[in-house]
Amino acid sequence: MTLLLLSLLVFLTIGVPIAYSLGLSTILYFLIFNIDLLQVVPQILFAGMDSYTLIALPLFILMGQLMNESRITARLVDYCLIFVGKIRGGLGLVNVISSMLFGGISGSSVSDTASIGSILIPEMKKRGYPEDYAAGLTVASSTMGMIIPPSIPMVLYAVTAQESVGRLFLGGVFPGIIVGLLQLCITIWISNKNSYPREDGSVSIKTILTMTAKNSYILFMPFFVVGSVILGVATATESAALGVFYALIIGVFLIKSLQLKRIYRALKSSVLTSAKIMIIIAFSKIFIWVLAYERIPDQLSESVSALGLSSTSMLLLFVIIILISGTFIDVSPAILLFTPVFLPSIVEMGISPILFGVILVIGLAVGACTPPVGNCLNVCAIITGLSIGKIFKGAIPFLIANVITLIIIITFPDIVTWLPKVIMD
Amino acid sequence: MLTEYLEKTLVGFLFLIFSITLVLVLLRYVFNQSITGANEIVTILFIYTTALGSAVSIGKNEHISINVFINSLSPKNYNRIKILQVLLLVILHTIIFFYCLGWIDKAGGYLMPATGFPRIVAIGIIPIGCLLSLIYCIKNFKNIINEISK
Repeated sequence: MTLLLLSLLVFLTIGVPIAYSLGLSTILYFLIFNIDLLQVVPQILFAGMDSYTLIALPLFILMGQLMNESRITARLVDYCLIFVGKIRGGLGLVNVISSMLFGGISGSSVSDTASIGSILIPEMKKRGYPEDYAAGLTVASSTMGMIIPPSIPMVLYAVTAQESVGRLFLGGVFPGIIVGLLQLCITIWISNKNSYPREDGSVSIKTILTMTAKNSYILFMPFFVVGSVILGVATATESAALGVFYALIIGVFLIKSLQLKRIYRALKSSVLTSAKIMIIIAFSKIFIWVLAYERIPDQLSESVSALGLSSTSMLLLFVIIILISGTFIDVSPAILLFTPVFLPSIVEMGISPILFGVILVIGLAVGACTPPVGNCLNVCAIITGLSIGKIFKGAIPFLIANVITLIIIITFPDIVTWLPKVIMD
Repeated sequence: MLTEYLEKTLVGFLFLIFSITLVLVLLRYVFNQSITGANEIVTILFIYTTALGSAVSIGKNEHISINVFINSLSPKNYNRIKILQVLLLVILHTIIFFYCLGWIDKAGGYLMPATGFPRIVAIGIIPIGCLLSLIYCIKNFKNIINEISK
């Protein structure tokens, strides 16, 4: 066991891709302890890829990419501006609200950072906001892309934990809203403290109604996709395909900005992103197989029970582990590794797997914004040319909102579990 | 050239996955019908995208990895570690390739439940993916050597 974990650590440290680090450490384990077991490697690897539900993954990624290529972000930003532009620090508020709306469309924090950041950060800089503040806010608000449904990491957790995708989506609704509201409060507080500008122009009810009608088909998208899963009209995979179809209709016929070249680019980027995640899933299956063979989850579960912790203290302990490990492990591999290891202990303590899934995703979303391994930080650094350290410094006040949300949902778990119970039971 | 061809193939596969899944939903709700084996075909295509896509990502050095440590190394040591990475990937893919051939030999002839295709149609992509990964490893190795000689 020590060899398995130590070798994994060495392979990861020397920069071997995470998927292949998992594969190499298990192969080394088999070579030393039981060479005959090597013959199960291709079979488990294949089983890791052989999943109809996981087909939702490339399709959800494609849906987000198509919406991105349709350039809907500028429309969303304009739409949010009419509501909060006149408040001090209005563009910061627009940033947070756009992320909430975009999160319901893309399901990914990285595409949220890229699309909203490329529009709002230059604009905020032009209007006199400090660049590290604008970049930090963009990165932190993009975490809602993972929390607000549809969410790609939640699909991944649902498949790994064999839970309902619909329940996970519903479980993320209130926490996502709480993160957004807390980030809005922090933005208003910082803006007032630093006298950030307000945006000009008066807005009439007529303008609001016209803009809402104009953007209604974009705003309806999350309800269409999530609703089809929750109401049992479609499976997660089918709902993702319907989402892609909807995105194509919007991009090609309504916004008319989605040409063949852009569709091809979205398809290419989606299939390669999906392959990179899927190969980690496949190799993590072999790694998890060895963990199960060594009875590690059972032993961990027994050790946790022996500690005699309450479920709240237990979850707080997990949050600390997730937040620390999230700083150096990417979201997808972390979900794939933590879920099978921690879930048995969680279930044994009577904690809802849905609650654990939401906590895991919110915690790892913070990790995506923290150095050294933070995908959202990396994307933002490319857009702005700022150092990762500077962006992270700007993001810290807003990431506190995520940590507070974690504490709130651990203290009041019904915030996560109530909606899935009411709608799906 | 190879990468471009593979990328086009992958795009085609993803488009097929999307189209078949959409048609299945529409058939179910509009005509109350289904296509036998379509789900199995979609899953096979999905496995193809993973096996081929991960090979292409090796060639493009785009796999998810933790590079904090190696980025802080001197160029000389960085290239040494890169060579070690390539060698490790070669070992991994070679082992999987050979064990996969043994598995195909035993189970490749069995028929899949819905389509009736022999299992080799689905399993066969694993050794193909490994071979492509090995080709990309050789290409990466050559690139590193060129970098060092510069």
